[in-house]
Amino acid sequence: MTLIYALAAGALFGIGAYLVMRRDLLRVVLGVVVISQAATLTLMASALGFGAAPIYPLPSGAISDPLSQAMALTSVVIGLATTALLLVLVLRVVDVFRSQGLDEVAEDEVAQEATLDAEHALGHEDEEAAAR
Amino acid sequence: MTLLSLAILIPWAAGIALVAVDGRRPVVGWAAVATLGGTLVALVALGAEVLTHGEVVVTTGGWPRGVGITLRADAAGVLFAVLSVGVLLAATAHLVMGGVRERTFPGIVVLLAAGLTGLFLTGDLFNFYVFFELAMLASYVLATYGGSRRSLGSALVFTLVNLLGTFVFLLSVAGIYHVTGTLDMAAIGARMDAVDPNAGILIAVGFFVAFSVKLGLFPFHFWLPTVYTGARPAVAAILAGGLANVGAYGLLRFGGELLPRELDLAAGALVVIGAASVLYGGVLAISRHNGSEMLAYSAIGQVGYVLVAVGIGGPVGFAAAVMISIVNSLNKVLLFLTTRMRGAIVGWAFLLGALSVAGVPPAVGFVAKMELFRAAADAPALLVLLFLGSAMSLLYAFQIYQYDFWRTERHGPRSHRSQLAVLGIVAAVVLVAGLWPEPLVYLSDAAARAVGGAAVVVGDGTVVSDGLPAVTSAP
Amino acid sequence: MSSIIGVVAPRLLGPALILAAAIIVKGYADVGDGFSAGVIVATALALRYVSLGWELAERSLPVLRRAPQVATAGLLIALATGFAGPLVGDPPFTHYPRAGESVIHIGTLELITAVVFDLGLFLFVTAAFVVLIHHLARLAQGGPR
Repeated sequence: MTLIYALAAGALFGIGAYLVMRRDLLRVVLGVVVISQAATLTLMASALGFGAAPIYPLPSGAISDPLSQAMALTSVVIGLATTALLLVLVLRVVDVFRSQGLDEVAEDEVAQEATLDAEHALGHEDEEAAAR
Repeated sequence: MTLLSLAILIPWAAGIALVAVDGRRPVVGWAAVATLGGTLVALVALGAEVLTHGEVVVTTGGWPRGVGITLRADAAGVLFAVLSVGVLLAATAHLVMGGVRERTFPGIVVLLAAGLTGLFLTGDLFNFYVFFELAMLASYVLATYGGSRRSLGSALVFTLVNLLGTFVFLLSVAGIYHVTGTLDMAAIGARMDAVDPNAGILIAVGFFVAFSVKLGLFPFHFWLPTVYTGARPAVAAILAGGLANVGAYGLLRFGGELLPRELDLAAGALVVIGAASVLYGGVLAISRHNGSEMLAYSAIGQVGYVLVAVGIGGPVGFAAAVMISIVNSLNKVLLFLTTRMRGAIVGWAFLLGALSVAGVPPAVGFVAKMELFRAAADAPALLVLLFLGSAMSLLYAFQIYQYDFWRTERHGPRSHRSQLAVLGIVAAVVLVAGLWPEPLVYLSDAAARAVGGAAVVVGDGTVVSDGLPAVTSAP
Repeated sequence: MSSIIGVVAPRLLGPALILAAAIIVKGYADVGDGFSAGVIVATALALRYVSLGWELAERSLPVLRRAPQVATAGLLIALATGFAGPLVGDPPFTHYPRAGESVIHIGTLELITAVVFDLGLFLFVTAAFVVLIHHLARLAQGGPR
């Protein structure tokens, strides 16, 4: 059973990693979501067991470990919050750039940096000329 | 016990309330500053209690230990909490005096403080993750506060990279629970000895990657320069001086207390990665002509020293690592706050910060470099590296000083006098700690002992590594 | 598809609230808690947003505009019950009456402070979802900030 969980988590992580590498920002967000599911699955797999819910008075027979389920639930909640934040961020970025490509964002940055550097270099040349 | 609860509750409750109101009004900003001040006072009082009476441990809900979530204040946790909240206080005061432009800023900073104090004061692995994620969420929001297109793009990269880092962290948490059956940090440290070394190394690598991403160590640094240069100076100070402490503390706590055997195995690799970080950061910082870019690459170089010190290990190495983290954090705040400021003491403050980065007396950086030399005394190759790194930091720091303060007049309006006062206070801390280093040495030694894997004793004197119910149901 | 949602969504809120209340109460003898109850109500509200659009959804149910305040209040309620313990010298997250003491019963529901915590959590989760949907909808439609 643990092996099945491990394989599933591995597959999810792989799919997520593939999506994160894409250019489309929405796919990147989806990739992060899929990776977070891989983490949740791993948490559940960390204490796999069959049994009743461990609520007092305890039933006879096996009980399941509540802790790994509590951890999985918490990580789902936190994953939700981070996904929400990421979506808002992507929407704002899209809003500002009006494009959805990561590389376009990067190109824009490079261009901006180049102008900044040029201005800076110009400033220094002026200073040096003045110093002479 | 009350102090411990207060230190977590104050920023948490106040942060929630502050997020809901308009943070652009000065009164809200000052409320955030007051909250951070209150938290700092509670933490300092808690620290005094910890140093005189030993660890403070509280198990939530009065459950037996091992069932309830453990809150624990020891010397290392309190020291890092005081440091981080102090950094946040200085940077927030600085920003509030200049006028807050973002609606949620005061609330988010206070929530960041809540996350940081929580994760430094917990003794439970999963609780650490929850507070860690709270702090990270707050910092993702903070990173967008540059306003420019560029800072939005860099915030996106920051968020994505760090999210992936936290998922790797979570995978390792699951691994730890699977192999030890507990989430209590002290108990994990005791039970890891019986675990298959292969599993232990895999888990340790996961934690290492997660914390290295936070610290911005050399192979995981790619997000750092754009974020630090894109953000506003006070926000960059918060990220570099406050949030980066999580990475240093995590390496110490997880390496020293939870996974000491794995740390021993990987010591050589850690030193090599740290050295690469020092050299890479130094060389790239020299090649920059812009103050904040130089600072960003310098940050990559400086955290390399932390890793080298952790790799050396032992009480001396850990003490050096704690001290370098503290000094780094102070330097970063001082230097990031000086960028884009103008006024009488700005040049002096920058000079002091630059001296501290380079490790020249009278600044506090000298004390940290001395401690590191003491730790590395047996390894000639490391001494060469330290000399080389210090020489490079001297070079880049003065290059920027020359560009920024000798050749050009800074443009723009003079900074507000109260902002200069904040800068002056931070500079005074850096100077006084350099002239009178005994408290710093004492505190870092105490912190190093706390994470050094010595037998962990609870308040009433019982050793806790035994007596926990074995809750694992893993096959 | 959209016509089904259009019919179902406005009528779903009542049943969702009842189901949520049932889950909170059930949580004290079986599996269930304020968080899952909150998710259920929030899902019903999300359907309203999908079918009506955010402007109409909020006009027809004005309490949705108060979501940020509700979320804050819910979280503060939860924190207050969680940290009431240290005020009287107990560890945080202690529930009252303590184990073994007599409890007021309403049917099978036991009135302990944990119920208040759960209610706070329920309010927070529901309202936080609404805030989130609100912001996403506005950003996606390019509406006024």
